[in-house]
Amino acid sequence: MIKTPICEILGIEYPIFQGGMAWIADADLAAAVSNAGGLGIISAMNADGEWLRKEIRKAKSLTDKPFGVNIMLMSPHVEEVSKLVAEEKVAVVVTGAGNPSKYMKDWIKAGIKVIPVVPSTGIAKLVARNGAVAVIAEGGESGGHVGEITTMSLVPQVCDAVDIPVLAAGGIADGRGIAASFMLGAVGVQLGTRFLVAKECNVHQNYKNKILKAKDIDTMTTGKRLGHPVRALKTPFSREFLKMEYNSNVSDAELEAYGAGSLYAAAILGDEKKGSFMSGQIAAMVKKEQTAAEIIKEIFEDAEKVLRGGTKWVK
Amino acid sequence: MTTFEKVANILVDAKDCEADKIKMESTWAELELDSLDTVELVMNLEDEFSISLEMNEDMKTVGDVVKAIDAALE
Ligand SMILES: Cc1cc2nc3c(=O)[nH]c(=O)nc-3n(C[C@H](O)[C@H](O)[C@H](O)COP(=O)(O)O)c2cc1C
Repeated sequence: MIKTPICEILGIEYPIFQGGMAWIADADLAAAVSNAGGLGIISAMNADGEWLRKEIRKAKSLTDKPFGVNIMLMSPHVEEVSKLVAEEKVAVVVTGAGNPSKYMKDWIKAGIKVIPVVPSTGIAKLVARNGAVAVIAEGGESGGHVGEITTMSLVPQVCDAVDIPVLAAGGIADGRGIAASFMLGAVGVQLGTRFLVAKECNVHQNYKNKILKAKDIDTMTTGKRLGHPVRALKTPFSREFLKMEYNSNVSDAELEAYGAGSLYAAAILGDEKKGSFMSGQIAAMVKKEQTAAEIIKEIFEDAEKVLRGGTKWVK
Repeated sequence: MTTFEKVANILVDAKDCEADKIKMESTWAELELDSLDTVELVMNLEDEFSISLEMNEDMKTVGDVVKAIDAALE
């Protein structure tokens, strides 16, 4: 059995989070992961309060275990959803894409445990000072919006920078990844891409099929020019986006407009031409659809084996 | 040394900004610093001046930070 401080802090069985995924991580997926002993997370993405309240209530009806909400700080509804999570007293708020300091006081006052995703040691120190109970150091191998620094480099540096527990995210899909994260100093992990193909995940089947088929070299990042790079599978959409990005005749506004709605097109409509199939570099290691419980059980059994064998080169 | 000079030194030292480009009215964008850079900068300034600073959206220029530091030192 693997137990770390994050299990105790949150009252979860396995030190694993299912990462928030816009248009994908809903109440069904979050509740399945929480029921399996991890921390499921509903993605608030760019949705308004009404949608989120419904999902939170649904998750509460599906599980008695703690679950979290992922708040995208770039969302146009951030003020509204930030009040709503306090009203609904969700157990955990995970933030992505920005500096959550402004909202943290109200969440903490409402008894919510705040765990921001951090792309640098500076942000990690800042949120630790503002009362975060843990941080998620997310490397650029991840799917979705990505930072520059890789998981291998970022995790130990964040562990050195703060005294609170650190979770590793980005490029983790099996027991080896978990064991390696622990070696870097993390006490837990967050996975996105592997949970995307969970049986309880309501994403369009075309999306799952693409992840299951993907090879190691099949992801690319676009959007650097706009200041928020995204990692996705190489598809007609992402190739065209990259071309437009390097074309100085295309304005930033045109580029933004081209990208708008592309994750919705992939996740909900399964549109293979216009969709942006965000995915981590680890997609090639995701080979079958399983329930959230099967995924978690399998990877922690593996992690335990790897960790037990960890001394084999020490003579 | 004035507060501005100390801030400028930190920008040169920690962020490799060019000294002659740093003015009171320089914005972070002009100095090519992104949001991660400015968070780190605030951390450095706090250590240097032994104060605590709250970075917010109204702090857009070197001068804004200098004023905030002077206010915190009073
Ligand atoms: C399709 C997709 C959408 C994502 N959307 C979000 C999001 O809305 N907010 C967020 O903080 N992270 C988002 N992420 C990042 C995940 O929460 C997680 O940190 C990441 O997927 C971990 O890396 P991995 O994919 O290599 O497991 C997304 C990831 C994917 C694959």
